[in-house]
Amino acid sequence: MAGHSETKNMPFAVKDCALITRMGGVDTAVNLRELRERIKVCPEACLFHHFMETLVRPSFDDPEFRNDFAVWSARYLRDRVLAERLGILNPYKFDNLKHLRETVVEIIDDRLSEMPFVPSVPKGDDFIFMQATTVVFDAGLTLDSPFELQKILPELSYSSLYYHFIEARRRTPQRVDDFTAWCYGVGDECEQLIEAFRTIDFYYLTLPELKKTLIEAIKPISLRGRHDG
Amino acid sequence: MTAKSLAIYEEIVGRVAISQLKQIADDIEGARVVHVNSTKAGGGVAEILHWLIPLMNDLGLKASWEIVEGHDEYFNVTKSFHNGLQGNHVVLTPSMIEVYEQTVGKNADRLRPVLEEADFVFVHDPQPAYLLKLCPNRKGKWIWRCHIDVSHPYRKVWSYLKGLVSGFDASIFSMPHFAQSLPHAQFIIAPSIDPLSEKNCDIPQKEISATLKKFGISPELPVLTQVSRFDRFKDPVGVIEAFSLLNHAVEAQLVLAGGGATDDPEGEAVYREVVDAAQGNDRIFVLQLPSDAHRTINALQRASSIVIQKSLQEGFGLTVTEAMWKGKPVIGGNVGGIRLQVHNHHTGYLVDSPEGAALRMRELLRQPEKMLRIGQTAKQFVRENFLLTRHLREYLTLMAGFRHGLENDLIRV
Repeated sequence: MAGHSETKNMPFAVKDCALITRMGGVDTAVNLRELRERIKVCPEACLFHHFMETLVRPSFDDPEFRNDFAVWSARYLRDRVLAERLGILNPYKFDNLKHLRETVVEIIDDRLSEMPFVPSVPKGDDFIFMQATTVVFDAGLTLDSPFELQKILPELSYSSLYYHFIEARRRTPQRVDDFTAWCYGVGDECEQLIEAFRTIDFYYLTLPELKKTLIEAIKPISLRGRHDG
Repeated sequence: MTAKSLAIYEEIVGRVAISQLKQIADDIEGARVVHVNSTKAGGGVAEILHWLIPLMNDLGLKASWEIVEGHDEYFNVTKSFHNGLQGNHVVLTPSMIEVYEQTVGKNADRLRPVLEEADFVFVHDPQPAYLLKLCPNRKGKWIWRCHIDVSHPYRKVWSYLKGLVSGFDASIFSMPHFAQSLPHAQFIIAPSIDPLSEKNCDIPQKEISATLKKFGISPELPVLTQVSRFDRFKDPVGVIEAFSLLNHAVEAQLVLAGGGATDDPEGEAVYREVVDAAQGNDRIFVLQLPSDAHRTINALQRASSIVIQKSLQEGFGLTVTEAMWKGKPVIGGNVGGIRLQVHNHHTGYLVDSPEGAALRMRELLRQPEKMLRIGQTAKQFVRENFLLTRHLREYLTLMAGFRHGLENDLIRV
């Protein structure tokens, strides 16, 4: 745990966030070649939005893929092969968005080379590039010990969960969730919690599923922690 | 409409949603926010402002609502703007523009002090848009809130209006597909419904039964309902065709309920077509209701097993959201905002033909447990994303974002 002692015994201020979405400033794409060209030049904020922020956007949908490029490929281009190749990408496994962008472009290039024509969609089904600003605010709650998470998780908003467990990975130096970063600073007694957080395959879960998974994962550890403490 | 306070929404949306609003609003406490439109009565924009202003004040902002007043001549011009923005070829003469600019000019003399002092000015739709040019000493941010689908405007109208709205600090559209390219940030804020309005509030079963009885609708047979104006784009005749295709394979009743059409020659003609198409089938009820029959519509939707919105062209389609809030599966036309809301097997079915609608009616009516499951899913989506608290949160987030610099991806307030 060396290097994390600065957070030892520090209380954890729970935050929440809200998104305001805007047009990405890139032309829409009506076919796969255009999608490739736009992805190559779009702001990184667009990539982040279409891969990572899909969970916290107001929606009536719970699509089978977590990123918008895969959803569009399946739903509008009707190319399930491409959708699956894009859908399996976990953006958090990439060092940075530049590498993610290169990989997406490569996947599309491969697919274009396999097809005898460039698949396109009718006007109205075009891919619209978006981005968002995240506004972070205090949730009005402070935790003294990671073992309190079990108690507060059911009450935590989905956007707060997104901010601490998912969005955190782009801003923490260790590229981990905020709970893990906090546990690092607390000490050895949190090892099991850290392990529980680490094993959650969060990217493929909806926020309600993630919340349930987290609660289940830390339940026995939290109980033990309470008894030990 | 009576102003409601934030506290009464807590029971519906939960403590956390209300707490989020308070936390974001803290950051912009005391901000002077002015909304400007052209009417306090009637229409979707007025409906929104009637709840938005009191709730913003409840959160510690200083929100007010101003209207641009004008005579018929002015409203005829703005109606042409409206139609032109939606793609209709309309006539726009220099004298019409003069009427528009002069009318807004007179209003500007009255409104200038409050508008120039405001921290945020939200100008709704094109009617008041010229105010921006007449308020040169603006202190705050001016945002054009466009409620219309301007994706395919009539070029001559858009070229004039673009000149007016380009000077705003930002614009807001209801859906990405409704937006136009402008030289400032274009935000997306989807519409919402008020769960406590007459249209959407819970009503007693007794009232629902009385409504059915009033129109002679049997409480024993499933009801399918489409609520819409008698307008060809809503395809009421297509709905009757779909219902007829059921051919008594499943026993049901169809209700087509629409607003008063007496002042609309085309509406009256479509109403006649619908009545003709329904003739001879005593299980089809064509109801011409007054425009304020919100509770009746509410009761009819709640009495329904399935709600239909088989439009051929549609904006966001808030009637779909309203039906989902009542826990109903929706069979909707594969167009506009209906596509955002209805997802096959999940919140209902999208259809492209009367045959498709008939197929899904039959499928759902034969599987009551599926209707129930879809209805519950739909209601949960609306609760989490399409009630007015989410709408308000996005306005607050936008204002907080402006205060801290929207060029950043992440802002801590």
